[in-house]
Parts: sequence; structure tokens; C-alpha cells
Amino acid sequence: MLRTLMRRKLRTLLTVLGITVGIWALMVMGAMANKLTALVDGGSSYFDNKIVVTDATNPAFGFGNVPMPVEVVERVGRIPDIAVAAARVSFLLDPDNTGSGFSAPDFVIGFRAGFDQGYETFRSELAQGRYTTLEDEGRRVVLLGADLARKFDAGPGDAFSIHGEEFEVIGVLEPLLMFFDTTAIIPWTAAQELLVQNEALEFEGGTDIPVLTSMVIAYPEPGADFRAIMRDIGEALPQTRTVTGEDFDDQFGSTIAIFNAIILSVALISIVVGGLSVINTMTMSVAERTREIGIKRAIGASRGLIMRELVLEAGLMGFIGGLVGLGLAALVVYSANDAGKTSGTVLFLLTPWIGTLGVAFSTLLGAVAGALPAWNAARLDPVEALRYG
Amino acid sequence: MAFLEAHNLHKTYRLTRSNHVRAMRGVDVTVEAGEMVGIMGPSGCGKSTLMHILGLLHAPDLDAAPPPSLAIDGLDVTTLTDRKRTQMRAERMGFVFQAFNLVSTLTTVENVALPAEYAGRRRRDALAAALEALRLVGLEDWAEHRPMELSGGQQQRAAIARALVTQPDLLLADEPTGNLDSENTAEVMALLHWFNRERGQTIVLVTHDTRVSEACSRVLTMQDGVIINGRQTEVA
Repeated sequence: MLRTLMRRKLRTLLTVLGITVGIWALMVMGAMANKLTALVDGGSSYFDNKIVVTDATNPAFGFGNVPMPVEVVERVGRIPDIAVAAARVSFLLDPDNTGSGFSAPDFVIGFRAGFDQGYETFRSELAQGRYTTLEDEGRRVVLLGADLARKFDAGPGDAFSIHGEEFEVIGVLEPLLMFFDTTAIIPWTAAQELLVQNEALEFEGGTDIPVLTSMVIAYPEPGADFRAIMRDIGEALPQTRTVTGEDFDDQFGSTIAIFNAIILSVALISIVVGGLSVINTMTMSVAERTREIGIKRAIGASRGLIMRELVLEAGLMGFIGGLVGLGLAALVVYSANDAGKTSGTVLFLLTPWIGTLGVAFSTLLGAVAGALPAWNAARLDPVEALRYG
Repeated sequence: MAFLEAHNLHKTYRLTRSNHVRAMRGVDVTVEAGEMVGIMGPSGCGKSTLMHILGLLHAPDLDAAPPPSLAIDGLDVTTLTDRKRTQMRAERMGFVFQAFNLVSTLTTVENVALPAEYAGRRRRDALAAALEALRLVGLEDWAEHRPMELSGGQQQRAAIARALVTQPDLLLADEPTGNLDSENTAEVMALLHWFNRERGQTIVLVTHDTRVSEACSRVLTMQDGVIINGRQTEVA
């Protein structure tokens, strides 16, 4: 079969190239869509069992970076059906870098270890080192998200600078494909100090500084009505804003779905062009091989066999195009992600699943595109075909 | 009962809605097993059409009266489906064409193995049978060569090997020497004659060449779509 394809090297090459470009586009776009979906899924999973309370003027969705008096935490904790309410400080690692739009910005968050009292269901795994503990309160230690560790090439024992202060890296998280990947987790007291230091200008003279929090993480009792609790929080603390998993899905899920649909549509158009080139090649191939098909039919090849032979040939072109497309896409994704490491803009997530699906799809595309010319070939009258050419 | 019996075969080709060509107008043929029958006649007399119908490449007109019949080895094949006719061609027939018709991308042995593969043999067995067939026609040393590397005579010998690789009941040859010079014509005819005489191979061949027809045990002459005589020849 390869020999037959190699008989028309240039045409085969151009056809394979057509599929390669299509699959390349599909894989790269797919990897981008995958990354975005992973970010949203990660966020959705994170927000699933909690209500995040931030200041009403807080500009970021679900991430509090406008300080509130820490008393808010206690008041949220008094709302019926709230099992645990805990303070969490968060602020941008680099105030000038608010994220690329494709990735979450680099964040610093601070909380007391075990603040959730076992209510947190979102799980992370350690790649290296250890988690923060209560014993770390008062120390300058940091647990880094996977992207952040990669970006700053930092690991346990390394020094890590946060707003000019030096922290010791105690651990690195496994990639979670969500905002934790670009987050530096520090003890509550250290975060409190940095937050106060950041916001110092807002407190005239810097005296009598209250304890601050950026957000309150509230865990409702199991089976509680989240909406009712959020209503209660809104009534008790009108200066706050509440967000839960459902809001996150509403905010990002449909937007990302539309965005993904657009980029995948663009990639699919490329694929259709690749498919048309297979149809063209196979039609030409059948025309050129009319006599050969006639010979084979005359000496006993069934219609099904002729069709199978040509469909497999087209499928093989699709397979080769898919493999080359996958290779090129992997190269682009790897290079772009590597280049984006320093800026934290890791745009793509090319998984084995996408790669396998892409190659399988291109093989199928080739076979399907070759089916019509193959069907026409199989229906040729052997005597007429033998007279051809 | 004759090995091949055909009665009242008609064939009309509809070139356009109003332009019909009646290529055969009621042909009766019988061929006994082990015969080598030649079909002669001027161009356009319907001899190739007869070959195509006997070789199950085309079906006769079924609307003729009385209805046509075509039986091979006692099996009525007049109205077989395309699938069954293809299977018959693969398993029980061999074809030799004027233009050799070897597949250019395949080696000689792969070409010869094709009918055996189509008849359902495993590729390894088909290739072994093909090598044996090539040995019989004296081309075993050319097994791995491409058809374009063979001379015309060698290509036709390879085509004969291909036609006989499945040891078919019937070998049909359409102008098998039409593209060959005298020397190769003699070689090819000697080969066909040998298979007929030594192996009892039933052969029906179409030819213009009287030297070829002289090698046949019987010659049928066609004109205007009918057989006008059948001459029995004593072959040495």
C-alpha cells in the first residue's frame, strides 16, 4: 500500500501535508481549549463546596484582594448553616502582572494550616517537600504551585522573594491545571504582614492597623441551601459579595464553551480542507488506476476488496498526516509552553488523549474522504475499466 | 454433458438512448473439458463480447426469447449476482489479455499471486503457488522483478502463470499473442498448448492469427454476432 502511495510521491506528500496542517491546527487549538477547560474545571471543582465572601468592591471574581476587617470572618461564621468560616489573605505576587487572560495571574495566598477543619474537599498532591503547618506561623516559608515553581526554577530549600521579602521554599505542588498552579501559599501571619505592608498607604500613619483579610472561605453544613446562606450573608453583611461553584460555572463555563467552540471550529475548517484534499487525491488515484482496478476485478477481486484497498490507502494517508501533525503540534506546544514559563503564560495542554484522538480522527477522516472515490472504483465495469488508458 | 454450454446468447450495448449495438445475436457454444477452442472472426463480430460473457465479466441479455442459458460444469451461471460471478472468476477461471495487464506496482510473483489471494488463499500460500506457476512458465528467476523489467513475451508468460495459479477449470485468453512478435507468439502458444495437452487445461481463446488458431483443437468462426461454423482440427 505504501508502495502505491509512493508511486505518486508529490501528490501523496501534498495530500499528507494538507491533513498535517489540519491536524496540527486541531491539536494546537485543541490543546489551548483543553487548557482553558482544565482551568475552568479546576476552578469549578475548587468552588464546589464553599462560599467565598469578598468585599463588594473586589474586582476579581472569587479572589479577594480588597482588604476587609477580620471581624467579617466571625460574622460570616455566625450565619446559620455555616459550619466553618476562615480568613484567607490573597494578593498578586507582582502587582503589575494581572494575568494573560489564558492563565490565572501569580497569586500569594495565606491561611492557617487546617483552617478548614476537614471540610475542604479539593485535594492537591505534593510533587516535592511538604505542606505548611501551624508550626510555620511566624516563619517565612512558602509552598509553590507547579507553574510558579517551574517559572522561577525553585524547589525546596531555595529562596523565593515575595514583595521584597525572602521566603524559603518548603514544597511544590503537583500540577492541578487551575489557579493553584500559579499560587504561592504562605503562613497566615506572614501573609497578614505583607498585606498590611502593601496596604500601608491606606492606613494613615500606619498606626492602629487592624487585622485584615482578603476573603472569607465559608463551608456550609452538608446539605445546606447555598443560595439561602448567600442571601443571609448578603443581608447581614451588605458590603460583601458572595461566590459559589454555581456562580463560577455561570461566569466562566458558558464563555469558555463558546470560546472553545470557536477555536475548534476554526481547526475543524482546516480539517475539512485536509479531507477535501484526500478526496481529490483519491479521485485522481482512482482515475489513474482505472485499468488496474479493471484487471483486479477481472481476475477475481470483489467490489468490497477494491473498496477496502482504496479506503485503507486513504486512511493510511490520514494516519501519516495525523502523526506528522501531532508531532508538529507537540513541538509548537512544548516550545510555546517553555517560552511562556517565564511569563507564566502556559497556553497549551496537549494530553495523550488529545493526541490519540487527533490521529484516530485524521485516519478516519482519510478513510471517510476516500470512501466515495473507492465506492466509484468498486462499481466500475471491469471490461470498461480494462479498455481505459 | 459439456463442460461449458451456452445457448441463445444475445448482447446489446446501449451506447445512447437511441443508439444500440447488437454485439451478439444468438450464440450457441459448447466446450468440452480439456478442449482448446479458438474463436476467430473479423473485428466487431462479437468474439470479445462472447469471451466476456463466457468469462462472467458481462451477463447476456436476459430478455431474449427463448431465454439464454449459460452453464459451466453443470452450474447455471446465467443470472448469478456480481458477487457470485466474481467468486467464480477468482476460483474457477483464469484470464489472459492481449495487453498482458500486469499491475505495474507489484512484482511478478505478487502479480501472479493475486488470483490465489482473491480465491481466499493466505498470502504465503498464494506466493508459494505463484512461484510454482512462474517455474512452469520458466520465469522463476524473474519473480522479484517488476513487469516493466520484463520483455513482452515474458510479461505474457507471467500473465499465463497468473491465469493458471489457481489451477482453474477454464482459461480464457483474449488475443494472447496480439502484442507479440513471431518468436514470442510461438513460445506463448507452445506454453498454452503444453498446458492443454499435458494438464488437460480447458482453454478458450480469441485470435485473429491463423497460426494461433491452428494450435486449437476446434475453431469457431464468428460474424455479425453469430457463430457461422465450427471446425474440428486435428492437432499434432
